[in-house]
Amino acid sequence: MTADPFLEIRNVSKQFGATKALESVSLTLYPGEVHALLGENGAGKSTLIKIMTGIYQPDSGEILLQGRPISLHNSAQAQNHGIAAIYQEPLVFPDLNIAENIFISHQRRNPMVRWGKLYRDAEKVLAQLGVALDVRALARGLPLAAQQTVEIAKAISMDVRVLIMDEPTASLSIHEVKHLFGLVRNLRKAGVAILFISHRLDEVFEIADRVTVFRDGQFISTAPVAEVTPERAIQDMVGREIGDIFVKEPSPRGDVVLSVKDLSREPRFRNINFELHAGEVLGLAGLVGAGRTDVALALFGIAPAQNGHITYLGKEVRLHSPKQATQMGIVYVPEDRRQHGLVLPMSLTANISLPSVKNYRNQVGMVQHDKEQTTAEHYRQQLTIRTSSLSMPAGKLSGGNQQKVVLSKWLNTNPRLLILDEPTRGIDVGAKQEVHRLINNLAQQGMAILMISSDLPEVLAMSDRILVMREGQQMGIFERHEATQETIMAAAIGQTLERAANE
Amino acid sequence: MNKIRRWVPLQRLREFSLVIILIIVVLIFGNQIDNYYTPRTFNRISSTVALITLVAVGQTLVVLTRNVDLSVGSVVGFTAYYVGRYVSKNEDISPVMLAALAMSIGAGMGLINGLLVAYGRIPAIVVTLGTMAIYRGVLVEYSDSKSVATRQLPDWIKELPQESILKYGEYELRALPAIALVAAIIFFFLLLYTSFGRRLYAIGSSPEAANLAGIRAPRMVTLAFTLCGAMAGLGGMLYLARFGTITVDAARGMELQVVAAVVVGGVNILGGSGTVLGAMLGAILIGTIEQSLIRMNINEFWKDALLGLCIIIAVSVDRILINQLTPWWSRTELQRMPEEHHAAA
Amino acid sequence: MQQPKRWARLKNWETLMFIILCVVVVGNLRLSEHYLDLNNLANIFHLSIEKSLVVLIMAFVIINGEIDLSVASVMGLAATVLAERYEAGWPIAAGFAMALVVGLVCGLLNGLFAAYMGIPSLIVTLAGSIGYRGVARILLEDNSVGDFPNWFTSLGQDGLIGPFPATIFVFLALFILGFVILQYSVFGRYVYAIGNNRAAAEYAGINAKQVKLTIFMASGLIAALAGAFYAARLGNVRANAAEGFELDIITIVLLGGVSIFGGTGTMIGVGLSLLVVLNLRNGMSLSNVDGNTQTSVIGILLILSVLVPNLFQLLQRLLPRVFSTISGFTNKGGAPEPKSQVSIHQ
Repeated sequence: MTADPFLEIRNVSKQFGATKALESVSLTLYPGEVHALLGENGAGKSTLIKIMTGIYQPDSGEILLQGRPISLHNSAQAQNHGIAAIYQEPLVFPDLNIAENIFISHQRRNPMVRWGKLYRDAEKVLAQLGVALDVRALARGLPLAAQQTVEIAKAISMDVRVLIMDEPTASLSIHEVKHLFGLVRNLRKAGVAILFISHRLDEVFEIADRVTVFRDGQFISTAPVAEVTPERAIQDMVGREIGDIFVKEPSPRGDVVLSVKDLSREPRFRNINFELHAGEVLGLAGLVGAGRTDVALALFGIAPAQNGHITYLGKEVRLHSPKQATQMGIVYVPEDRRQHGLVLPMSLTANISLPSVKNYRNQVGMVQHDKEQTTAEHYRQQLTIRTSSLSMPAGKLSGGNQQKVVLSKWLNTNPRLLILDEPTRGIDVGAKQEVHRLINNLAQQGMAILMISSDLPEVLAMSDRILVMREGQQMGIFERHEATQETIMAAAIGQTLERAANE
Repeated sequence: MNKIRRWVPLQRLREFSLVIILIIVVLIFGNQIDNYYTPRTFNRISSTVALITLVAVGQTLVVLTRNVDLSVGSVVGFTAYYVGRYVSKNEDISPVMLAALAMSIGAGMGLINGLLVAYGRIPAIVVTLGTMAIYRGVLVEYSDSKSVATRQLPDWIKELPQESILKYGEYELRALPAIALVAAIIFFFLLLYTSFGRRLYAIGSSPEAANLAGIRAPRMVTLAFTLCGAMAGLGGMLYLARFGTITVDAARGMELQVVAAVVVGGVNILGGSGTVLGAMLGAILIGTIEQSLIRMNINEFWKDALLGLCIIIAVSVDRILINQLTPWWSRTELQRMPEEHHAAA
Repeated sequence: MQQPKRWARLKNWETLMFIILCVVVVGNLRLSEHYLDLNNLANIFHLSIEKSLVVLIMAFVIINGEIDLSVASVMGLAATVLAERYEAGWPIAAGFAMALVVGLVCGLLNGLFAAYMGIPSLIVTLAGSIGYRGVARILLEDNSVGDFPNWFTSLGQDGLIGPFPATIFVFLALFILGFVILQYSVFGRYVYAIGNNRAAAEYAGINAKQVKLTIFMASGLIAALAGAFYAARLGNVRANAAEGFELDIITIVLLGGVSIFGGTGTMIGVGLSLLVVLNLRNGMSLSNVDGNTQTSVIGILLILSVLVPNLFQLLQRLLPRVFSTISGFTNKGGAPEPKSQVSIHQ
């Protein structure tokens, strides 16, 4: 590590409306280091990336490049300074081929495209990374890992000095992560400063030289990795001891509500088998991309399964549309609230009544607003939705309150089976606990609940049984008393099976 | 097979299938119509296609960026009138200067569209729906509802459509199709070999990624609209040459034909993919069907109904086939990745 | 959805439209003393009654996030079918019914291709607009059919109450129906939900395809009705009947505060915009302005209606930056960039 920092963020603040996304944070990047940035959702990591890449401008504070203050107004300027970012969801141009994708930002320099040279150069860059891809192929349809490789190649081709990697491993398989780390080490050797953002602590400890922690938009700590322990990092991130999470109380297990046999939809998942009882919470654990959401979508009728049997309330059913699933009492609280859960510009009331709005008709078929309002008011009190008005657009609420609106809309349809996909992702601690209590109460009342979650403490605390998936396969079902973070994680990353598969 | 897949982009395949369809169509008509394979048929079809091709080539640039220009019909109409009026007063102006005049008027109108779309941030369909009416209104005001008549025009412009550039036996490449062909070739290379062209694809393919890659989309989009307008302006001059008489209704409704040609030619209306070659083939296919039907004695009024059918079939087949084909076509690449992993490990 | 819905931010679109309407009315009053004549007032609506009818359904189509460019051709085709059947010896009522059925079939085709095959409705209805017009040409070639029975033409021409013909009352009834359905019914709720966020609506168990198909079929039906009225008003039909009407219709809807991206707009706004456009045209006609020029004035109005709110936003965004450049400081309290620029994750 050389003495002079390459990039310095000094006391940068950024505010959106009433929320302070960043409060006077600082960060220093040296050439040839991998600097890990840790923080929970909402800690301000994404905002910082956007400031570093010129998409946002800071309200105050400064950015120093090799000691000189710079201002970044757009991503082109950031690129000119050698700052590039790779996102969790790579942003490639699907209609351009790989070579063009790699060199897209170079085109400002020469007005003509020399295809032969372009292809050769692209192959060279990829060879530098130790990979070979057909550079003539369109980026459309490339697997995520290959797309990320393209993004990295793009960054390298621009003589990148600072590479920001925002959760690059979230959707990668173990193999691919290993390969990615190889690339990162090569870049480090070449003197690039890497800001590495990940939720996976083991990865951070494997690759990082220094670790910085943010919490609620504030700088908490920076330390060399040798001086940091996972326990301390977690403490810094959450600012509290692990252990004050709400734990589900035992509930009477009722009849079988849902029974799934050999359910498959290639290539997403195959041979899934489980039974779910009334009053039970079945946790669905696994890494991102393990096919958990796909199972949920099959049960909700959005992407129906190709093979296998679903028995619901004693009858075999074929689920082919959300409408049908909803009518049968199967409902799904999606992972992406803003895209799939809510119609953001519509009022809270209209969102809550959306699936059941037919029940609010009077004799001539008009929607009775007063009755809708009464229902919405009921849920506002029951679920403590914090809002000044029920006619406010759902988009203006905080994440936690939005999630409560989504839950309200489904509870109002009297479901028998509730599928939750990452029910507490991106919501604050208080709301999280309220959602956990709600899940507990619903189970006590006899609802069958299938809960997908990547938050291990949550899965362990809230589930009666836990089904673990890995790469589309069911790795096993654990009873609550036999499950620990270690056993679940081991199953999710397939450590024991990995070796056998490799031989 | 893998080699073909590797070296032939899907887009070429699409264009190739258009050529096949075109051949089939020609064979069917040849079978139905006596004396179909004659120079006369060729010359007639090529003259009709020229105008649509010219405007469709410009439209392609705009559609690639996820926009659409519905005002081209009005631009063609206005420039045709303006140039006609101008040339009737200044008979000694050179053809090149006249073309330059027509193109600059068109470019100016396109620039207005582009600025409103790119910097005014108004959806293209709204802007060009508006300017379509506005430009037509400008024509009406300017012309005071009078028309340009053939007899007012200098001879060279009247004879331009009969002028033959290349001759092979009785098959001629006349001036209008030659101009359209040159324009198509220029724009084909512009889109394929200049970074401006590639950036148009990038913008249409993924606006977010384009923004992150530092592409100045507003500037590119404005330029695309301006070029589209310039082509429509040149189209206006050719329209004048071909029809001679220009009323305030000149080229009304042409935008539909142009957009149809672009879409049939496989340019994705949602931006990002398609070529000038495809648009030209689309125009040729539509023009051939249209002109051949006129020759068929059953009923020339069938032309529009068949054109509508043709568009919907082209788009549906494209959607189904290409959707099925794309993943398969690019599968080879996907398999190379893991192999490489093992090699590297 | 690429652009944020700026229209939604201008909360009182209706108020703005109302003010413009007042300005137009006052202008017309000063322009001509005949403006308030009962006959002129009837004329304002009477001469554009067919477009007005289709505007009602077009509002549904666009709020739902689609577009229907084929309405004018369906109008022409319906009028043609009615005339052709009449000429073939059918009673006019049967021809009328046939025209409505044809309209419904056109709408069904549009809906099947757009909603069920997933082809952009811009393309589907563009093909429709060429194709349906083509069918009309096959039926009538370049003939003109007239001599309809008196009762039929009087339906479109003669005053039912005072100078107001029956068609105006059909329009009023449909306006109220459309208003109630869009603003107060379950179906209307679905239309908005799908237009705003189709995925979320489908995740809420709404069958978006079915709703879209229904709207396209209704669009075909209303366009056919309007086409039949057009035949009744003019008393004769040619294959090019109602050509180019779609632009006026779409313009009125967009001017009424309906976003081209779907999800926003109200029936009241569209009604007010209809009044503005009709009165503006009437005023210009009273002062002998050419029809094409009238259309271009409306085109300018359409562009301004979106441009002005956008410019205000742009100024808001630019001014702090300009200020910061001058003072040498990075900007303070600048409004966040619009979403369209930063739709990366989160």
